[in-house]
Amino acid sequence: MESLSQLYLPGAVPVWAAVVFALAALWGYSLVLRGDQAAVGFARRAYGFFTLSIVLSAAVLAIALVRRDFRVEYVFQYTGLELPMHYQFAAFWAGQKGSFLLWLLFGALIGLLVRRTAGKAEAAVMGIYTLTLVGLLFILVRENPFVMLAETPLDGQGLNPLLQDDWMVIHPPIMFVGYALAAVPYAFAMAALWRRDYSGWAARAFPWALTGFLVLGSAILLGGYWAYKTLGWGGYWGWDPVENASLIPWILGVVLIHGLYLERTKGRYRRANFVLAGLVYMAVLYGTFLTRSGVLADFSVHSFVDLGISGWLILMMAVFLALPVALIALRWREIPAARNEDPVLSRGAFLVIGTVTLTASALVITAGTSAPLLTRWLEHAGQVGPSFYNQVNLPLALLVALLLSVVPFLTWRGTPAREVMRRMRWPGAVAVTVAALAFALDVRDPLHLLLVLLATAALGANLVKTFEVASTQGLGGAGGWLAHVGVGIMLIGFLASSAYDESVKVTLAQGEPRQVDDLTLTFTRYIPRQGREKERMEVRVVREDGSELWAYPKLFVNDRTRQVMANPDVHSSPLQDLYISPIEIEPGRREGEPERVLLAAGERATVGGLDVRFAGFRVPEQHEMMVALADGGTIEIGAHLEIAADGAAATSLVPTYAFTAAGAVTAPPAELPGGGMVMVSSIDAAEGRVQLDLWGVPGLVAEPARLSLDVTRKPLIKLVWYGLYVVLFGGLLSTVKRLRQGRRVDELGEAVEAAKAGRARAAADEVAVAPASAREELGAAG
Amino acid sequence: MSRKMSRKMTYAFGAVLLVAFAAFSAQSFNESLTPYVPYDEARRAGERTVQVAGGLLAGSSSYDDVAHALHFTLTDPESGGTMPVRYEGLKPANFEEAVSIVAIGRYDAAGDTFHADKLLVKCPSKYQGAEVKEYG
Repeated sequence: MESLSQLYLPGAVPVWAAVVFALAALWGYSLVLRGDQAAVGFARRAYGFFTLSIVLSAAVLAIALVRRDFRVEYVFQYTGLELPMHYQFAAFWAGQKGSFLLWLLFGALIGLLVRRTAGKAEAAVMGIYTLTLVGLLFILVRENPFVMLAETPLDGQGLNPLLQDDWMVIHPPIMFVGYALAAVPYAFAMAALWRRDYSGWAARAFPWALTGFLVLGSAILLGGYWAYKTLGWGGYWGWDPVENASLIPWILGVVLIHGLYLERTKGRYRRANFVLAGLVYMAVLYGTFLTRSGVLADFSVHSFVDLGISGWLILMMAVFLALPVALIALRWREIPAARNEDPVLSRGAFLVIGTVTLTASALVITAGTSAPLLTRWLEHAGQVGPSFYNQVNLPLALLVALLLSVVPFLTWRGTPAREVMRRMRWPGAVAVTVAALAFALDVRDPLHLLLVLLATAALGANLVKTFEVASTQGLGGAGGWLAHVGVGIMLIGFLASSAYDESVKVTLAQGEPRQVDDLTLTFTRYIPRQGREKERMEVRVVREDGSELWAYPKLFVNDRTRQVMANPDVHSSPLQDLYISPIEIEPGRREGEPERVLLAAGERATVGGLDVRFAGFRVPEQHEMMVALADGGTIEIGAHLEIAADGAAATSLVPTYAFTAAGAVTAPPAELPGGGMVMVSSIDAAEGRVQLDLWGVPGLVAEPARLSLDVTRKPLIKLVWYGLYVVLFGGLLSTVKRLRQGRRVDELGEAVEAAKAGRARAAADEVAVAPASAREELGAAG
Repeated sequence: MSRKMSRKMTYAFGAVLLVAFAAFSAQSFNESLTPYVPYDEARRAGERTVQVAGGLLAGSSSYDDVAHALHFTLTDPESGGTMPVRYEGLKPANFEEAVSIVAIGRYDAAGDTFHADKLLVKCPSKYQGAEVKEYG
């Protein structure tokens, strides 16, 4: 904790106020839960002021960023004078502290909507929801973004160039909205357990679960796109812990959605849904712990360094795990469980198998991501590579595709196998044709062929179903089936773009065309920086049919960080993407230009026909140096070189480098055996390295610049994006539908309550309708 | 077969599938697990893929333009041991400035060299202390 004087108070005070108001809201809601209905007004006001405080502190940080107030350490660390305004603003979520504030901001605002949808469960739902926010709030108090520097620097350190990208401006905020939304079904579920309301919560939590799925899915889509188009990581997905941290809650969210669907339509999965709502939020917390606590620092490409919040995150996980575990254990026997009487070929059975399959996928991905932790107690900790994730998810993907291709033709009561076969004729025929086409295109792995077959069948079957449902109920009712169409498209895209991509690494000499498979690549020119447009390389690509395209991959050194940045150039065509990623550029040497080499003692270099070895410096005695410096004299350092021309014996040569205390340097060129000159152009005393310039060396000819590229063909990669768009659009349709239903449940609920009150008045001494049974009616009615 | 029996059979079948999948996952996990090991153990690990880490021995790196192969020697700051590494691929940017390097691959006894498939190069960066880049 920092002392008061070290904090930027306009931002820090609202954070503390938020703590007070959040605790007040918790207290208020706990009073309501104990029967003091009048406290609800107090609790709501407290929550409102809590939200206002968070909005204020976020606004203060945003203003400090935009005003480039470098007194604030966070502003100093992540922005700079030359940073354009939209990045200056985006620096809000460039660091851990700002990220947590952003997460909390979205969480607090979402809470206002949660309150409106919680109905009678408000006190319990909002109490638990506020508790999740208090967890984040304490991180913010510990990791206060409003720490001030002792002196105001003139300029900031600038934003990490990797993050200076338009995708970066939108991707993280959407991700944090998704994380914040994961706490909502959790709060509804825990409140339902607390209040013994085992049927009403599903209708209210359903639209929230769908919204979370949509938002997190969009964030994953943007993240993949960012990695693919800009970062030059070669793909949209690398199974990196940070990526997995968002994927695991998303998959579990899909499971929860299907569980809630089962509960809403058939009254099944009541117990499971409580567990699932708990799991989704735990996955978010665990992912945050893995990527933000520094436990994976040695294993992940872009994991954060420990800020000392690991302990707190572990405590948070323990609390928010203990709560559902205790509540579910306590209420387990009470939760009504429907007996599973469905035949295997029924929608219900398939839903159950599907949810188990997806949960298994989430679990193995969690295990893989946790490998460094799981193996910690072994002799050597280790990690698993992408091969593990691909291997274990392939059979699951096959099963999912199989389930999806059959489920559109199943009813809840069960459908005879013959009927299923009859209805699968057309999608099946199309799938067989597509699989045959894949075989003709050299897909020979039987599992891959099976995946093509099943994914196409899933696509076709669900497309048929989408049309059927849309024609009777309108498109709004077909969201789920449409999402399944997208899954089929995505699976084909995943397989084609990952298992059948072709990657070649080539080095192109400037001006010399080079054949790479059916393409001819020529590195035509290097385009220097123009304003904000970074250094680019121009590459001419000629296809076999003579058509040409120009690629402009970028490779540049960031001025301030000296990091080398690479941006690929992607040329999309409907069937495949041509992905040209720069790896290295060597500037080459023009005629008459000296060759410059940098050598440490013992290292050698070949220059033209010469072999040059740097044996070491010849430095004068210490006392001579002291005397020379004191007298304003010259210090002369010799570079002992051993030079051998084409196999001949080495000759020693000691060119010198002399300098005075005033900084005047003299470095006379020395003649090389066999012709040419050498000169010590610089010495690096700290590293013990010498920089030599050699020219006129026989055999030293002008060299063209060389550009090394990674040229990759990614077939059908567009299907990954298109498939995900379709999935999300389907999810959007379902969200709208469930939102409407949720509202209807509210109206219905009020009607039931009113009727109940009326009846109670009419016959005060009659046994009141058991609230649970009234709610049961509600659940069935929705 | 009665309906009840067939239901039990279905559950049993599902359970068998789950157990089989768990076993398959565990095996795949073990196979793709690349443990961090000291150099002497990497030398004994045979064909198994392992990770070795260390600093770059000053002046030990050289790049073969023809074979596109990077040669360098890792050194363990604690034990002082060394491990020569060969990495086929293009040379990572700023390689000489690497603070620490993780090489993932296997040891080749014939040439006393560690053949790396992948390098993780941690370079000094003012952003959160250090920046790790992945190659291969």
